[in-house]
Amino acid sequence: MTPGMNGPDPAAKAPETLLLPRRLRAPEVPGLFREVQRRAEEGPLTLDFREVEEFDSSALALVNLVRRLFPGVEAVNMKGALARAGESFIERPRPAEPGPAGRGWGLGRFFGGVTDAFLLRVKAVGRFLAMFGDEIYHLGVYLRERKGVYPGETWNQLYFMGYRSFPIVCLLIFLVGVTISITSVEQLSLFGADVYIADLVGLAMLKELVPLMTGIILAGKVGAAITAELSSMVVLEEVDALRTMGVVPEKYLMVPRLLAITMAVPLLVAMADIVGIFGGVLVARLTFGMAPSAFLDQMMNSVGWSDFAWGLIKTVVFGWAVVVGSGYKGLTVGRSAEEVGRATTESVVLSITLIVLIDCVFAFILY
Amino acid sequence: MDIIETRELAVGYGDVRVLDELDLAIPAGRISVVLGVSGSGKSTLLKTLAGLMPPLGGEVRFAGAPVDYYSEASLRTLYGKVGVLYQGGALLNSLTLAENVALPVRMQFPEMPLGVVEDMVHSALAQVGLASSAGKHPAELSGGMKKRGALARALILDPEVVFCDEPSSGLDPITSASLDDLLLSVKETFGMTLVVVTHELRSIERVADRVFVLNDGRLHFCGESADLVASEDGFIKTFFLRKDGHDDT
Ligand SMILES: Nc1ncnc2c1ncn2[C@@H]1O[C@H](COP(=O)(O)OP(=O)(O)O)[C@@H](O)[C@H]1O
Ligand SMILES: [Mg+2]
Repeated sequence: MTPGMNGPDPAAKAPETLLLPRRLRAPEVPGLFREVQRRAEEGPLTLDFREVEEFDSSALALVNLVRRLFPGVEAVNMKGALARAGESFIERPRPAEPGPAGRGWGLGRFFGGVTDAFLLRVKAVGRFLAMFGDEIYHLGVYLRERKGVYPGETWNQLYFMGYRSFPIVCLLIFLVGVTISITSVEQLSLFGADVYIADLVGLAMLKELVPLMTGIILAGKVGAAITAELSSMVVLEEVDALRTMGVVPEKYLMVPRLLAITMAVPLLVAMADIVGIFGGVLVARLTFGMAPSAFLDQMMNSVGWSDFAWGLIKTVVFGWAVVVGSGYKGLTVGRSAEEVGRATTESVVLSITLIVLIDCVFAFILY
Repeated sequence: MDIIETRELAVGYGDVRVLDELDLAIPAGRISVVLGVSGSGKSTLLKTLAGLMPPLGGEVRFAGAPVDYYSEASLRTLYGKVGVLYQGGALLNSLTLAENVALPVRMQFPEMPLGVVEDMVHSALAQVGLASSAGKHPAELSGGMKKRGALARALILDPEVVFCDEPSSGLDPITSASLDDLLLSVKETFGMTLVVVTHELRSIERVADRVFVLNDGRLHFCGESADLVASEDGFIKTFFLRKDGHDDT
């Protein structure tokens, strides 16, 4: 044992004794560590292991850590493996940051009979809705307790969903903006109403095209990636492994993705709105020389903040549908590599279907 | 003492009973080996005993108490007492080896001081001889290293029972023998109970205290490994003559 000398108060104060409990296992270790930390700062401390009968590797690790951090703390009455703990550990460097990956293999399976197929569909819809409810629950619990999710995972996902989707979303929306402007300018000029191009592009972009295009790009890029990753985790038994580690996979895997999409979508939509309208401005300027400022003034006549807000809210809901839909497809995959591929294509179809359905519902609500 | 007992246990998927009428007794602090041809339901049995899928009938008792597969609390308790070494290792690809091994601690005890977690991980990895690969991702590890890493992860919270699904499949004889040594040392040092699926007669003779042979949806044989080797049973004899130690499911 290392003899200690740098306690915070090395005055001639008799060391206090902390009698450790009989049971010293992982559930007790965090609290005990806090206590040791507090008391070690107050003055010299002796840890008495006399009573300890039940311990595990976290207790050994605790002993080791305390020795390293608080050389002034003495340990007495250690027996057997506990006494040897100090020798069996070596310092090690911190591990590097994680990065995503995934693959799969396995067997095949098939479904027979039309009725069976129909019943399976009904069951699948039920399971999907149940999962949707569960995810909302997990998200709520996570926001309150901050437990059960890998630290930093939300930021990894945000990087992937937001930053990596950014260029493609901007490029496509710009092209869509240019395309609808060119098409509409031609029609509008027949009535001498070219200036209304601004209203048209503004409304169409904010309320319909940006949400829909962003949703579809997310379905193809983010949704497909989620399904591929989660389904290969299922096939490789990683999801089972999480469960036996006491982790709830539906929470561990889905909550960071839901949080990330919720943060990524507003950024994407705001950028896409600007870029799409810029496409309109450009076309109006090049075809009939409309000044950008005139375009924006004209647009502001008919487009309000609420249009922007609704478009944004709608896209956030699309994003949730994509994440939950593709997560559902990923986690309910069968056992083989072929199913990983099939689940991935099905996930894109499911996401786009959900987006169109939700868009329809919004149309009824809003108009 | 038997740590796991099953009565009339039936396991399978949906309506398909893969195994039925199982009365098993897994002795505490010993290594039990489960044997059977590919597709005989060994993995299914292990998953059921580990609480990953509900049985289709019968009862599982863990340390004397019946497991309620439909109660989250009961399953949570069970997960806290078992560790599983999956067939392919099932290390999470997105995390490094050390992060994988730390995962059960960080998820179950989020307040555990990081220094304690690091020491636990380091000693678990040292135990399986992987301390120097801590920072690597699973993709950079060989098959045998993945399995040993997965074993470290299964052991880190000192479970009472460790289930190992074909720990030596796909490994060369030397690596597989060293894995056997590891299992033996786990049993001897920590007094853990191990339930191991394997096909290799050599490793059965070395590690098994009790052997369960599954065949045709039933428990075909149960006894000491010496009894197994001496058995005149037709199925058991062909099993070892035909088997070459590989399985693909
Ligand atoms: N997820 C599943 N759904 C339906 N049937 C399955 C599933 N997993 C395995 N099976 C079937 O259950 C039987 C037992 O499989 P398994 O327990 O993996 O066998 P073993 O591990 O002994 O090779 C096999 O017939 C297999 O096809
Ligand atoms: Mg198997």
